[in-house]
Amino acid sequence: MSYDWEGFLKLLILLLEGAKLTVMVFFLTLFFSIPLGLLVAFGRMSKSRLISEPIKIYILLMRGTPLILQIALVYFGPYYLLPEGMKINLDRFAAAVAACTLNYAAYFAEIYRGGIQSIPKGQYEAAEVLGFSKIQTYTRIILPQVVKRILPPMSNEIITLVKDTALVQTIGISELFRVATVQSSAKSSTIPLAAAGMFYLIMNWVVTEILQMAENKLNYYR
Amino acid sequence: MIMLEVKGLHKSFDSNKVLNDISFKVEKGEVVAVIGPSGSGKSTLLRCLTLLERVDQGTIVVAGDVMVHTDKEGHAVYAPESSLKKIRLRMGMVFQDFNLFPHFSVLRNITEAPVHVARISKEQAEERALVLLRKMGLEDKAEAYPYQLSGGQSQRVAIARALAMNPDILFFDEPTSALDPELTGEVLKVMRALAAERMTMVVVTHEMGFAREVADRVIFMDKGQIVEEGKPDVVLCNPSNERTRAFIKGLSER
Repeated sequence: MSYDWEGFLKLLILLLEGAKLTVMVFFLTLFFSIPLGLLVAFGRMSKSRLISEPIKIYILLMRGTPLILQIALVYFGPYYLLPEGMKINLDRFAAAVAACTLNYAAYFAEIYRGGIQSIPKGQYEAAEVLGFSKIQTYTRIILPQVVKRILPPMSNEIITLVKDTALVQTIGISELFRVATVQSSAKSSTIPLAAAGMFYLIMNWVVTEILQMAENKLNYYR
Repeated sequence: MIMLEVKGLHKSFDSNKVLNDISFKVEKGEVVAVIGPSGSGKSTLLRCLTLLERVDQGTIVVAGDVMVHTDKEGHAVYAPESSLKKIRLRMGMVFQDFNLFPHFSVLRNITEAPVHVARISKEQAEERALVLLRKMGLEDKAEAYPYQLSGGQSQRVAIARALAMNPDILFFDEPTSALDPELTGEVLKVMRALAAERMTMVVVTHEMGFAREVADRVIFMDKGQIVEEGKPDVVLCNPSNERTRAFIKGLSER
């Protein structure tokens, strides 16, 4: 009896379709959460407690509750919270990206904060005495150095995000892992799951290589 | 011409009085060495003069421009930020631990402020930077990064970086204190050359030899006050004040 290669090919095509959604959630989440995290970081470091305290609560909520719960709340929450007659149905995909963005921005913000606060005071002072404005000091002197310092912890989070995208299936998005579990039960086979595992592994291998390249590129100084 | 005029400077950190009624003047082309035991307020004085700290009371005038004065209630009133920006550009500062920008090459460390703050062209800034590097004996280091430099080289780059902005007055905060003894010489040599060119300098230092040879005037500070001030051979060799004498004696016994 020969292996059902045709069936396997069909499985791969289904998984690829799921992976497409996975990749989209991944990239859109990164695209929005990387800059949002910077805003959150500055808010968290604000001297005004009116800003820093709510930001602290936001970070606590995002890091202190399961992402899967946050995804469900962002999607279903508005429906239950809004009064009768104003009920809207959020787009599933948009809700998933929004929830992941809010969650990852909180983690990124804390990484940025650690990076920014690790830059010696002397760098700010040298820039100030030379006449750089506050904005120039950040864009030219501080943040370029921060990027180098935060790349390793950021890599960790970005790799985790690849796998966390599986959680968006909770609001009915047929991403990679959802497709795999459906196929697995339909065929009573673990091959779809193992294949999905390979997909994640390959994605993270690519991500790791890219991040490594970025680290190497920044190795020109210490 | 008076380059720097300081009158009745007071500065406290919480209840700790760090500067207590500091007054002095620096003429154009003069080299003033500020000495004194640690904790005497020398570094804080320099940080107040370069706007890294704000004074509680007093007057600072840089080349005729008032940076800060005191109102009738005795509170320090600073000039508007636009004027401070201008005044800042007339002053250069060299730090104890260099504070070079590690992600920039030596050349870019020197050209970044001229290009993006003083807004001169990149070509012009680089040309000038290379002249300064030659003066510092570092013409071969233009493309190096700070981590590749020794302490003495780093400090000379920091001096070049400050000079690139064409300051009217240059402040040094213990420029050789972070250096190995064999490296202090090369930095002091550069500072001597600047003094010979009549660059106006205020140098907080522990290098008594440098103060004696190069300074036109020595200010001795203790507990936030100027205790004694005068020609180096007088203050360093024949001090009239008891505290100065004790400090100089302590140094020579090391």
